[in-house]
Amino acid sequence: MYEAVHAHPDGAATAARVAATAARMGYDGVVIRARDAAPDYPAIREASGIDVVDAVEIAASDPEGASGAVGGLRPDHTLLSVRGGTDRLNRFAVEQERVDVLARPMAGDGDVNHVLANRAAANGVRIEFDFGPVLRSTGGERVRALRDLRKLREVVADAGAPFLVSANPASHLELRASRELVAVGEAVGFDPETVRAGLREWGELADRNRHRRSEAFVEPGVERGRYDG
Amino acid sequence: MKHLPKHLQPRWRYLAVALEAWPDADISRSDFQRAVWYAAGNLLGDPGSADADCRVLHFRFEDGTGEAVVRARRGEVGPARAALACVSEVDGHPVGLHVRGVSGTVRTCEERYLGRRAGVRVERRVVFENDRRRGYVRDGNVDVDGPDGFTGATELDLDSEST
Repeated sequence: MYEAVHAHPDGAATAARVAATAARMGYDGVVIRARDAAPDYPAIREASGIDVVDAVEIAASDPEGASGAVGGLRPDHTLLSVRGGTDRLNRFAVEQERVDVLARPMAGDGDVNHVLANRAAANGVRIEFDFGPVLRSTGGERVRALRDLRKLREVVADAGAPFLVSANPASHLELRASRELVAVGEAVGFDPETVRAGLREWGELADRNRHRRSEAFVEPGVERGRYDG
Repeated sequence: MKHLPKHLQPRWRYLAVALEAWPDADISRSDFQRAVWYAAGNLLGDPGSADADCRVLHFRFEDGTGEAVVRARRGEVGPARAALACVSEVDGHPVGLHVRGVSGTVRTCEERYLGRRAGVRVERRVVFENDRRRGYVRDGNVDVDGPDGFTGATELDLDSEST
């Protein structure tokens, strides 16, 4: 299982530190949602012993800004996510096949309905279930987050849209092991297998994109290589 | 009051919990117990919290790292684990927390999952992002002090002249 983290300078711990902690917790890999971070991925992979995926998370205020960033950053990263949080950004992200992940769609004023979920399913854009507010906020803020999470869960399940689960940790201290996330998910109404699948999906997505970026890949179903009938 | 006959005594499970915090954090057993109760109350509600009945039995914390044994009612380990995962702060200090394992007795819990001596913490000057800072080094991990608080790093992130 994988977890997707924010690393220094976006978060309070470096990619190497988060990877070391994740390895101790039993994760198979971490996805670094870099914006300003540019860690030495091979060195961290070797030191931590787990997979480290170079990703980029685009935090733009409007679709116009996000669109430019998607075009510019897509070729350089294995995984690309767009941070949602407004209806226009959510709409933009689910319409783009080049976007892998719509992160935090329900943050702020953002909302997802059946139309967006269907578009996400059609374009293969993974919708993220953000467990961050469940783990780290209290009171009204948490109640709103749980209400939004429930709505998102129902909409995503109905549309059969692909999804991911993350605690959105911004440091090694905010990281929680997968069993803990499954337990939290169960306490707030998620099926345990859904949470596990959501955590595995990061790794499967990274594998798919690595394969697509490899030399042998031409397009889905077409590959360069030896034909062995 | 006379203690209950054996078949009526509650059965417990013991969760071995590893804790981590920034080097300046000082956390006591009662602080942690309060945080666990709050987390359980907020996540599970009063009935769920009473069912899980989380109690901190053993607690040790020094130099930004620690361990605890948390007791929960048998059959309520899942909710207890969820409540522990929601402990994000203790007495204002952000904490990292990880359930290493669950046992049926305190003794096996400690023998199997706890008592792994963390390495000795050394305080020294380090160079991080071309800046000389104070660092707290343990087992290859470094907490670097800075103007905006601590940054978690490893030896890999330090610039060469400091090592």
